[in-house]
Amino acid sequence: MKTVLHRLSPFAIALARMLVQATGIVVVVFLLARLVPGDAVDVKGLEGDLTAAQQVALRHELGLDRSVPEQLVAWSWRALKGDFGDSIRFGRPVSGMLGTALPTTLLFAALSFALGLGLALALAVGAVTTGNRVLRELVNLFSVWSIALPTFCVGVIGILVFSVWLGWLPVLGSMNLPVIIIGIDSAGVIVKPLHEELREAATSAHVRTARAKGLAPWRIALRHLLPTAVPVMLALSGLVLTSLVAGTLTMEVLFGLPGVGSLLLNAIHGRDYPVIQAAILVIAVALVVINAATDLLHRLIDPRMTS
Amino acid sequence: MSLALPSEVGGAVRRGLSPRTVIAALVLAAIIALALAAPLITPFDPLDQDLLALNQPPGAEHWLGTDHMGRDVFSRLVMGARTTLVVGFGGALVAFILGAGLGLVALSFGRAAETAMFALIDLVRAMPDVLLALLLIVALGAGAQPVMIALGIAFAPFFAYVARATFHREAVKDYVTAARLFGGGRLHVLRLHIAPNLVGGLITQAAILLPRCVVTESVLSFLGLGSSPDQPTWGRMVADASHYIETSPHAILAPVLAIVALTLSLSMIGDAVRRRLDPLRAADEAAL
Amino acid sequence: MTSLSLSRRTFLAGTAAVGLAGGLVPFQPRSALAAADPTRGGVLRYATLGLDTADPHRHTGSIAVQQIYAEALTSIGDDGAAAPFLAESFAVSPDGKTYTFTLREGVTFHNGDVMGADDVVANIIRVKDKVKGGWLASAMKLVETVTAQDARTVVIAMHEPYAPLVNLMSELWILSPKSPGWDDTITTPIGTGPFTFGTWQPKVKLTAPASPAYWRGGMPYLSAIEADLRDGADRQLALRAGEIDIASVPADIAKQLAKDPNLRVSQLKDAGWYFVAFNNRKPRPPFNDVRVRQALAYAIDKAAFINFASAGTGVVSNQMVGPGNLYFDDALFKADPHAKADLGKAKALLKEAGVDPSKETIEFVSWQESYPQVVVQMVRKLGFNVNHVALDDIGTQKRLGQYDWDMNCMSSGPRADIFLRYVRLMSDGPNPVLWGGIQDSAFDALVKKAVAETDLATRRQHYLDAWKMVMDNYYVVALGMDADQIVIRKGVEGYEPGFTWSPNRVDGGVAQTWLAGRS
Repeated sequence: MKTVLHRLSPFAIALARMLVQATGIVVVVFLLARLVPGDAVDVKGLEGDLTAAQQVALRHELGLDRSVPEQLVAWSWRALKGDFGDSIRFGRPVSGMLGTALPTTLLFAALSFALGLGLALALAVGAVTTGNRVLRELVNLFSVWSIALPTFCVGVIGILVFSVWLGWLPVLGSMNLPVIIIGIDSAGVIVKPLHEELREAATSAHVRTARAKGLAPWRIALRHLLPTAVPVMLALSGLVLTSLVAGTLTMEVLFGLPGVGSLLLNAIHGRDYPVIQAAILVIAVALVVINAATDLLHRLIDPRMTS
Repeated sequence: MSLALPSEVGGAVRRGLSPRTVIAALVLAAIIALALAAPLITPFDPLDQDLLALNQPPGAEHWLGTDHMGRDVFSRLVMGARTTLVVGFGGALVAFILGAGLGLVALSFGRAAETAMFALIDLVRAMPDVLLALLLIVALGAGAQPVMIALGIAFAPFFAYVARATFHREAVKDYVTAARLFGGGRLHVLRLHIAPNLVGGLITQAAILLPRCVVTESVLSFLGLGSSPDQPTWGRMVADASHYIETSPHAILAPVLAIVALTLSLSMIGDAVRRRLDPLRAADEAAL
Repeated sequence: MTSLSLSRRTFLAGTAAVGLAGGLVPFQPRSALAAADPTRGGVLRYATLGLDTADPHRHTGSIAVQQIYAEALTSIGDDGAAAPFLAESFAVSPDGKTYTFTLREGVTFHNGDVMGADDVVANIIRVKDKVKGGWLASAMKLVETVTAQDARTVVIAMHEPYAPLVNLMSELWILSPKSPGWDDTITTPIGTGPFTFGTWQPKVKLTAPASPAYWRGGMPYLSAIEADLRDGADRQLALRAGEIDIASVPADIAKQLAKDPNLRVSQLKDAGWYFVAFNNRKPRPPFNDVRVRQALAYAIDKAAFINFASAGTGVVSNQMVGPGNLYFDDALFKADPHAKADLGKAKALLKEAGVDPSKETIEFVSWQESYPQVVVQMVRKLGFNVNHVALDDIGTQKRLGQYDWDMNCMSSGPRADIFLRYVRLMSDGPNPVLWGGIQDSAFDALVKKAVAETDLATRRQHYLDAWKMVMDNYYVVALGMDADQIVIRKGVEGYEPGFTWSPNRVDGGVAQTWLAGRS
């Protein structure tokens, strides 16, 4: 019984940590959004020509005249029940707007994430098992690429080369090019540490034994390296997620993908607090949850971590 | 990891500098020199418009052509280097001061302060940097200074972590324990024994973060949140030229290549600094 | 430097023939398009302006999307005159105070209800009571009674004559009072248009399926319209790649696209105007000195500006309308002292006013466009320092509304009636911030006189007198006109841009558009 509790406590701590982080982010975002000069009633007033009295009334109706902590509590309580309120600018339920934007972003992020991890894994394992110089250089290249090449620059060049010069790809709404760009960028974030970790594993006794026994490189890769690589990759995936957020934002803007990033940027320009808060909440919670999940998965796979 | 350094580089190059690093340093030096000498070497006022010569290809008069407003691309590129360097380096500096400063202050005040401060720092860290910078800029208003502050806040946690890691690593060492036994307070120990050890780690971290600051600055000005519209910055030049990508690709290629050259050389130099100052932990840091 | 030669040849700003009762133009279905048989089906992808609200009565500014599901009693034809639309005819009493609209028979809302006079009255009353401010506010203030004389006749009685009413009625949308949200903010408008509201994703798209029971027999031909509502998405490549069928683009981009054999470029028939405005509500020294504002006007090279802003498609003007428009005055145009920039005069004026430009910083506000930078640079050449603040749409409005700036450079699109341009310059006009919030009761009085005047020539003179006040006081300096460029993909048949942004109107638009070679 005690050992079960002992094994469970890290999970509980991880869960608590996750909750605290998500809450903290929401509070920070809520306060930052309130720092912005001018609120959505100003926006409406200027566009829709409300009188001063109507603006006061609308502010009261929207609760914008109450104290900030009050607004925060009221908003959090409703958010817990899944009600993010209505967009101040468009009068639509925020949950609906998020609902239409999320699939695009989720699909985009999932594809880029998968491509990134897959590429990194293939490259790192390939480089270690074959010892191929070209592959090793590729590892370095990807790593440098992701540090030194902002995704929007690559995106612009990609459009220039593929859409304009070669006339291959459709421009709007197509995910091919942005997924490849973010995939490579994500791979670059983790491929080097992954490669270094694997190289260490490859010098370990049992891999050397396997090699000495004349096992084919791909079998070594499959049987001995992959079990090492997967936990390492899980541990590194948090880094990928962070860079993925920035990448998704710029790609959605550059390629006109109607996802959460575009929604958020538009909401920031429109001072649409309910949408800003809901979008950030979704992104932050998603990040925290995914990080916690990979963390737990990592603990399950890698027994060294439970200590 | 291997510590073998190429020794065949030759006498001119000091031991430990690979040709790659030397090239990177030369590129960076060239960019900085161009930025410093900008007013002397720009053939045109970077704001001057020749409305009869829009989107001109590179030629004898305009070395890199003109943009969609008939402004000289080369002059804008050189002047833009100033903004990009000032904001990028400035952001890293703010992050350095903020992160290391707050981290050390919290550490010197004891366990409780440390826990509280680092809970806050963890929070900031949990937000993706571009997202956080975006929000801060919207709160502070667009412009070079807000971007610098936003970059500083977004990247401050990294320096705080270095400070904490150094503190805890050194704190258990014998000489520090000895100092404490002799009645040295937390602050005293910090100042005398830990701060000197910190410098290397912080410099390493700064070297790693510089290219990221530059990249983030260009992303933000690409999204239209940088300084005022006619002031040239590289990110904004890319955004402006992206509508004319077909007829005048030169106007977009020039700033893109400039950004890449700068970030590439910065990251290579950062890599070299990391290897030199902290060869053993280089691998760990890469995973941070 | 060669002098810029701007051709006025191709430039026709449409004749804003007046919305006086008269012309009971009978509705003529697609006279121009009888040649080929329209293909049915297909989705038209349309990208011009955005959609801010699902409540058509609350939309202000340039409207370019909601006309596909909401229609009005009148419609602005290609010549700029109001023609009967949901009304079969209209008449004005000789004293100009009573308007009688006879409704068209057999018009149904998207929910199947027949549109009756009571519905129309309910809409007018909703706008009068619920929507404060906006285009129709000053008109609605003058409405005494609105009555349904019988099932097909609506009578509007005004306190005083009000000439723009018939034109303005083209933007008083007739919706079913059963539309959800009627009492507050309509969330799903039930209109009479050729397409239904469908599904709306703000800032993303509106998917509007065809209405099967549209009142114009046989129309629409398309199965749906997908309106692209994204800001700032690059339409140039999307048009070339065949991902958008109809889109508005900046003039310089249109010029590039004209070379593509799959695209053709057309223009809105009315022009928008570019202008520089000063902070007229709270001017600070030295910009409260009219000589300083005059000097700044002398610094602007209008020809170079408009040539850049319109990529050579526009013309210089010193008025809110351009050549060809009824309210344009050629003599006034020819006497424009600012037709050419004159830095010498500008400097002399500054000297006279005792202003050293190098010691002054102009707070200059604009949208994030290229053309304001041209003016900024010209003003800098006069010696002023300029702090140029370029903001997004909302940020600009907000900043201008604070009246803590000195100068701006803006543009304003086509309008259904000349009054809609003047009303923005009035002391209590809707959204006056772009024009610096002019407060001039003499100006207001002239515009009110013009509105109440039933004689066309006299009205025109009142409007011109009002505009001269604006010019003489240097509240606003008009720079020139250009028509918005609309790019249309090959295979889109039966579509031409109209006088305003409206994509559905009495003599053209999406109801009679069809796609060749696609279904």
